Amino acid sequence: MTTEIITNGNQMIAKFAGRLDTAAAVQTAEDVKPLLEASDKEIILDCTELEYISSSGLRIFLTIRKEAAPHGSKVIVRNINADIRQVFVMTGFISLFEIQ
Amino acid sequence: MDLHTEMLLAEYDAQLPVIQRLQQIVKDSLNQAIDRNGMMVTAVKTRVKTRESLVGKLALKGSKYHSLDDITDILGARVITFYTDDVDRIAAMAEQLFDIDWENSVDKRRLHDLDSFGYNSLHYICRLPKSIVDDPDCPQLNTIRFELQLRTTLQHAWASINHDIGYKTGVEIPREYLRQINRLAGILEMADDEFSRIRTEITDYRRRVQQLVQNGQLDEVQLDGDTFHSYLAARPFNTLNKHIAAINQAEIQEVPLDDYLGVLIALGCKTLGDVEAMKKKYHEAAYALARHQLGNTDLDIISSSVGIQNICIVCILAQGGGKIGLIRLFNALNGENPQNELLAEMTYEQAKNLPLMKEGN
Repeated sequence: MTTEIITNGNQMIAKFAGRLDTAAAVQTAEDVKPLLEASDKEIILDCTELEYISSSGLRIFLTIRKEAAPHGSKVIVRNINADIRQVFVMTGFISLFEIQ
Repeated sequence: MDLHTEMLLAEYDAQLPVIQRLQQIVKDSLNQAIDRNGMMVTAVKTRVKTRESLVGKLALKGSKYHSLDDITDILGARVITFYTDDVDRIAAMAEQLFDIDWENSVDKRRLHDLDSFGYNSLHYICRLPKSIVDDPDCPQLNTIRFELQLRTTLQHAWASINHDIGYKTGVEIPREYLRQINRLAGILEMADDEFSRIRTEITDYRRRVQQLVQNGQLDEVQLDGDTFHSYLAARPFNTLNKHIAAINQAEIQEVPLDDYLGVLIALGCKTLGDVEAMKKKYHEAAYALARHQLGNTDLDIISSSVGIQNICIVCILAQGGGKIGLIRLFNALNGENPQNELLAEMTYEQAKNLPLMKEGN
């Protein structure tokens, strides 16, 4: 599991690749810390290469969303695959995020 | 420029830093008091009269003023409200906040004859009390007077346009046009009263709806944004959500559910009673769907939208909406996306064989 963060003007893009399961979550939580400190940014969680997400991964996404609002940032989840979209529906997380 | 004007301008120059400090304190005091009272206003503005503007004023009526203290609008503050009732509320707030110089304050709303219309605004001449600021090095902060103007947005619009027409053209306005402008003041006064009346009626309506919701008389409450919001305040899907959360001992993240209003209306709900009936009818099927979906996973976090979402899914299928209905649901909730088709397909396959789903039919 890898997480790459790219800043592009007003956007901060987190590119996730691999399986975001419980084992990977600790490192991923560390990797996304710059997103939690971002102010007035459009935070894009690019899931093009994300294969799987567990509850721990959902919690990381949730933390990013919770921190973004008071900092004036918004979060967009981009390119989730069908399985992850199904997870988002089953858990109701689909209502929590803007998904593109 | 005569000697008297020069003397007043020198006084202005000397006092300007104190007046600017006073300006910030007045603005902060007003904003904080408005927040404390939970009010919303269009704007809180303050300004210090510019030197040029003061020169103009003194050229017109300089002899009237013996010292700068006699000019009460060197610092001006203005609160622009949405509603006429709020002008009186802000006035009451200002009376508690500041020391009011009643002799020089004027309610221009009450100055008109019964058959005349025109400038409407409440003007208070104020000083800062020591309860707000008490600086021994700057006692002027408590002695300099400032003008506080309170008016509605419509009164402000009329006054601004009237000022623009009256002062900027530089020529005397014919009586005919002045009459037309004042006629507009009458119309805006009526509009202000109407806005206040409508606000009061909406507030009464909301109270009545909340009462009906509290009494469980949901069949009598038409489904709309306001009533649905009141209904949601009672957390009607809490029981189902907890039931679903128990499948994996999941924690529940609260999210707003107002977006479901359009979906419920599209599913034929006309009253809150219809929503309640739908909830009861499909509770078990919605739970069964969640158990079927989540039971094979270790997902232990859900959002509070799961309950209503699953109720909508099973209702669509029970009404024969099929995959197309589910695609429409996902498009409505999550925005149009080609993947919603695949999602609808998967959800349809998961739901169609549930026994309770068949009973729901």
